[in-house]
Amino acid sequence: MRIAAVGDVHLDENARGRLRPALERVGRHADVLLLSGDLTRHGTVGEMRVVAEEFSGLPVPVVAVLGNHDHHSDAVPEVTDVLHDHDIEVLEGDSVVLPIGPHRLGIAGVKGFGGGFAGKCASAFGEPEIKAFVRHTVDVADRLRKALDALDADARVALMHYAPIPETLQGEPPEIYPFLGSYLLSEAIDATDVDLAVHGHAHYGAEQGMTPAGVPVRNVAQPVIRTAFAVYSIEP
Amino acid sequence: MNESEQSRAPGHHAARLRRVLAEDSRTAELGVQITVEGAAVHLAGPVASGRHKDELDRVLREAAPEMRVYNDVWVVEADEPGSGEELR
Repeated sequence: MRIAAVGDVHLDENARGRLRPALERVGRHADVLLLSGDLTRHGTVGEMRVVAEEFSGLPVPVVAVLGNHDHHSDAVPEVTDVLHDHDIEVLEGDSVVLPIGPHRLGIAGVKGFGGGFAGKCASAFGEPEIKAFVRHTVDVADRLRKALDALDADARVALMHYAPIPETLQGEPPEIYPFLGSYLLSEAIDATDVDLAVHGHAHYGAEQGMTPAGVPVRNVAQPVIRTAFAVYSIEP
Repeated sequence: MNESEQSRAPGHHAARLRRVLAEDSRTAELGVQITVEGAAVHLAGPVASGRHKDELDRVLREAAPEMRVYNDVWVVEADEPGSGEELR
């Protein structure tokens, strides 16, 4: 199964059409296209219309999660509807199963959140703001685990915006790692049988890494992969 | 450079400009690197379009009119990939 993926395209009217020539040829490379969030700059309906038009009508199904930029205008239901209206699936604690030849590819997705990584993470202690921050990242990771667990498929992919491991953040300042991802996401991935985990968010990170249980993790933020999309092949 | 900027450490000055670029609605930029050296501010990193690069310039010059801006931001490539990776 061939999986194309990209994130952090940050489209607005100024960037309309830049990706389209390569996207129209995605069917030569892949069976599905995953979008790992930060599709817009400000999360407005207008910008998401640019995204929807850029990624619609392609020869393969398109499945997305939102990123922090896509939440910036507090219009998540509205921007999600724009993508749905253009047949782009949006996941947030849920999943989709796609037929690819004789096989079934399951994709579970969440935006994710920060919190940090093992040994250097926040705890639900202290002010209400900190407790809310940690509670949110725990809830998000739990939703990912449940969505992965419920997948009945030959191969499984976890799709996130935030990073599940620190290795794909290398290149970013370590001081901001707690804002870039959470080890709880890798715990959710390692709790189920996942073949590939894909994320974005870290523009200066590294493309390749692995969870503690050996699941390949790929940072597909466009500044990292430096192409319109990256392609990964997995065996069902 | 005015007196308050002169007394501000370069790191703090860069931090202020970083917040300007993040919080100004014309840029909403969290991903470029900003370095302040004396009376110069350097921008580097990837952006999605040439017009966005120009907006960064404009907003920065408004926020720090006394400084020289060196804008080394580059527009992210949008080509098809050459090949894929096989995962085992």
